[in-house]
Amino acid sequence: MTENTKDKLDTEFGVDSRYSSEKERKSDAAALMEARLRRMKNLSKEKITKAKLMQLKLRMDEYIKHPAHDNHSNFLEFLKSYIDTLYSKRSDFARDIAVTSVSLSQVINKHREPKEEFLLKLMIHSEKVYAGFCAFPKEIWYQVYYHEKICNTMSNQKEWRPEIEKDIRVSAVL
Amino acid sequence: MKIIETSTGEKRLVDILPVEIDEFKTFKKERYFFDWKKEKHQEVYKLQIKGMSDVFGLVSIERIPEEWRIHIRLLTVSKENKGKEKKYDKIIGNLMAFVAKIALREFGELACVSLRPKSQIARHYMETYNMNLTGLTLSMEIPQILALINLYDND
Repeated sequence: MTENTKDKLDTEFGVDSRYSSEKERKSDAAALMEARLRRMKNLSKEKITKAKLMQLKLRMDEYIKHPAHDNHSNFLEFLKSYIDTLYSKRSDFARDIAVTSVSLSQVINKHREPKEEFLLKLMIHSEKVYAGFCAFPKEIWYQVYYHEKICNTMSNQKEWRPEIEKDIRVSAVL
Repeated sequence: MKIIETSTGEKRLVDILPVEIDEFKTFKKERYFFDWKKEKHQEVYKLQIKGMSDVFGLVSIERIPEEWRIHIRLLTVSKENKGKEKKYDKIIGNLMAFVAKIALREFGELACVSLRPKSQIARHYMETYNMNLTGLTLSMEIPQILALINLYDND
């Protein structure tokens, strides 16, 4: 056995898993999909909820690492996804965090900004939900919210700058 | 995510980052087992200890959104991290967990990570990562993906 062959039989060196033909890929894909669909039917509701919650956390992590400079509200999208994963009615979430359904609806529909207290309640609620199955940094909602504020402020300068800038003077001597 | 220095048992934080096109020529077959230049048009990531430039592991992946799947094309550790005398442990596991995170982030509860080993190493991956075997394809689905991510995020 050559040195190279010995290396490749070592289970820990890694794996070459490239398809050798399109035919091989298609045939494998069909068989795999069939087996996966069978297994998916046995996936518990709890596992599906945990998968969705972990997906949400990973999407928030990614947004913090690579925030988009656009006017899209990622915070609200994440918030809606969080609530809808856990509750069939948003009013039940409002009750659980001791806010009125009306104020939750106003936040979700962008009719008002979330208050500091809302963010604190959301942080504590998430801590309790994620506890025991997934590491969830408590500051993550704050990070998403303020990253979005920064991104939106910077990308909307054309709108706010002229009005604000006309009142700004620098009288200090440099 | 962390790897373990086998001589001391010390855990070292790692970064897993995209490989830039001009880096491929530095990944020689003698140290990384495959001709990585052939992967330069693929999505390839490298594993490094935080703050250091030496690359200890590489993975090349293909996203297949219509099947909610990520296929691992090529995966390796650097030569000194293979076998009983390896310097660092958990490199492959960290790379697998990293791919599992991409799959879960992109495809949620439908996520799947697949492998199609050509040699007799399938059993190793089935036992270590609890992968399912379908024909010649190994796959991780939600139960395995959640377990793997938790294992490598909480170590």
